[in-house]
Amino acid sequence: MMRFLNICVIAGLVFAAAYVYRIKFESTRQAERVAKLRMEIRREHDAIAALRAEWSKLDNPARIQELAERHLALKPIDARQFDRLDRLPERPPVLVPPDAADPIGVLIENPEIAEVPTSSVRAQGGKR
Amino acid sequence: MGAADIQATEAARAPWHRRLSATLLYGRNIDRPAKAKARIGLAIVAFALGYAVIGGRLVMFAAVPESHMSRRAGGTDAVATARPDILDRNGEILAIDVRMPSLFAEPHRIIDVDEAVELLTAVMPDLEVAELRERLSSKRRFVWLKREITPKQRTEIHRLGLPGIGFMHENKRIYPNGAGVSHLIGHVNIDNQGIAGIEKWLDGRGLADLHMAGLATDRLQQPVELAVDLRVQHALRDELNKAREKYKAKAAAGLVTDARTGEIVAMVSVPDYDPNNPREALDPTRINRLTTGVFEMGSTFKALTVAMALDSGKVSLNSSFDARVPLQYGRFTIHDYHAQRRVLTVPEIFTYSSNIGTARMALSLGVEHHKWFLRKLGQLDRLRTELPESAEPLVPKRWGELNTVTIAFGHGLSVAPLQAMMANAALFNGGYLIPPTFRKRSEQEAMQLATRVIKSETSEKMRYLMRLNVEKGTATRADVQGYYVGGKTGTSEKVINGRYSKTKVLNSFTALLPADQPRYLLLVMLDEPQGIAETHNFATSGWNTAPTAAAVIARIAPLLGIQPRFELPSADRLILASAKESR
Repeated sequence: MMRFLNICVIAGLVFAAAYVYRIKFESTRQAERVAKLRMEIRREHDAIAALRAEWSKLDNPARIQELAERHLALKPIDARQFDRLDRLPERPPVLVPPDAADPIGVLIENPEIAEVPTSSVRAQGGKR
Repeated sequence: MGAADIQATEAARAPWHRRLSATLLYGRNIDRPAKAKARIGLAIVAFALGYAVIGGRLVMFAAVPESHMSRRAGGTDAVATARPDILDRNGEILAIDVRMPSLFAEPHRIIDVDEAVELLTAVMPDLEVAELRERLSSKRRFVWLKREITPKQRTEIHRLGLPGIGFMHENKRIYPNGAGVSHLIGHVNIDNQGIAGIEKWLDGRGLADLHMAGLATDRLQQPVELAVDLRVQHALRDELNKAREKYKAKAAAGLVTDARTGEIVAMVSVPDYDPNNPREALDPTRINRLTTGVFEMGSTFKALTVAMALDSGKVSLNSSFDARVPLQYGRFTIHDYHAQRRVLTVPEIFTYSSNIGTARMALSLGVEHHKWFLRKLGQLDRLRTELPESAEPLVPKRWGELNTVTIAFGHGLSVAPLQAMMANAALFNGGYLIPPTFRKRSEQEAMQLATRVIKSETSEKMRYLMRLNVEKGTATRADVQGYYVGGKTGTSEKVINGRYSKTKVLNSFTALLPADQPRYLLLVMLDEPQGIAETHNFATSGWNTAPTAAAVIARIAPLLGIQPRFELPSADRLILASAKESR
């Protein structure tokens, strides 16, 4: 009885030792991985910072203004070019149903819709 | 039979020499099994304690996440410590840290100094040979060879395989917008410590202590958001540079503040410097004129005098003052630039910018009242903001009636322009004096800091006067269609060799945007502008700073989200009428 107990205890000890070794090995590996990932994150942060710095350097208003003046025909906006949303004209009538297979064909078949004046205000009561 | 008896009989049976040794070791009549039991018990306790300590330590390791223990490992990291990013009010980057390798040497580990010098200068020709040799042969344990080298140079030097030469990664502060925001954010030294502007303020907030403890190496610090708007800042700077060139001025400065929160939305003082190259900042012509310089603000100061008079209740908009003859005071004579030679009402005094009228207005209230009012508006004490640079106003030591006469129209008292703008904002925003700030601030926060300095009706009248001045006063050239601008011109003669110069002037212009419900205040200053053909050789404020302000407003108003309104009635109908209604 006593001998059996001893064998059991020894077996348990060996098993525990092996298990602890495994855990330790695994934890070392995980710790290394954590360190590596942390390093990578840090490197990514640095890269992001460098790119952000570069982006804001390229996005700098002084530089954009210089490029715009050199390459674009745009002019600074005038106060008269602003307007309120409720003074926006109505959407022009759609001449051709959007799902028509051949829009030009529809126009030729119904010559009367081509007569619609191309004003930005749609005719009174005209739906669509 | 007890154990002791057995032992005793056993001991008695043992041979004599054993009995002797037993007596010497344990003493006679000792109960050995009991003693052994006690010893085993002691051993159990000792071991249990040992395991308990180990177990406890394990729990501690498991519970505390590995923190700074592993962070120390990277020895080649971070000498110059990290600083938080600085963003503008829309999240655009004003300053950011980028990691750069730096080259160092440990002279005691270098084998052949000559070879090292030769190879290093081959890779980096800009290294000084003599200095490099001296550094490498020094007795010190550690010397910097070059801070901030390029990644390419780094790999090349790495390939040389020199012993005793190494790299450290350091944080380098980058200002992507260059000179655009220089005076505002300041700059750092080579060790990434703030030495001017907001950067220095950041250090003062405890960042310096973190640096000392070596803890601020992480870039995961909360970014700092400022009130400045990069687009407005750029537009203002661009227009000021144009104006400075056009009117051949020595310097120009501009400021945009939110009248209701005290936030500084843009602050420019040209000539400025590139914070990436801090050496430029040492040039005395490049100082920040808005906070570190004090100036006699000239006629823009009249707004304060008029507000004081209106607020006292003794003067109303219909009161009139005699401006028929120049005001004699001792050996001084006060003239008007736009002399009308008649009795002027208060609005006329403001729109003709009458020195005589404002002087008489201030005199009618007395010296003490004048002093008290200016102190209430913070014009006599040093204004402190986040910026470490600030200037004390130059207040006359003995303030007599003559001082009141001149200060009434902005001569004889020098204040920092930022300070004057703080007072101006209080005149127009309903009467609240709000300390200016470079950080974001909400209206509620501003209201907690605000102190009421004038009545809201007085503020209403001041807005009317400002708008009237643009409609038919000295500031007509500052009008921008659609934005209902109000403004006041100011031309102050500079003191050259102790006398007021007739040719060298400092022009300023304060604008109110829009005048009926002020949201923003703009200040434009030109130092010694020259008369040019386009301005008929006039160099007064209405001819140069007013049109500059108009150009600035036309550009910044859309950026600030101010809706253009057309067909608005004139000032006396829009502002004054609403003032009467509300009463």
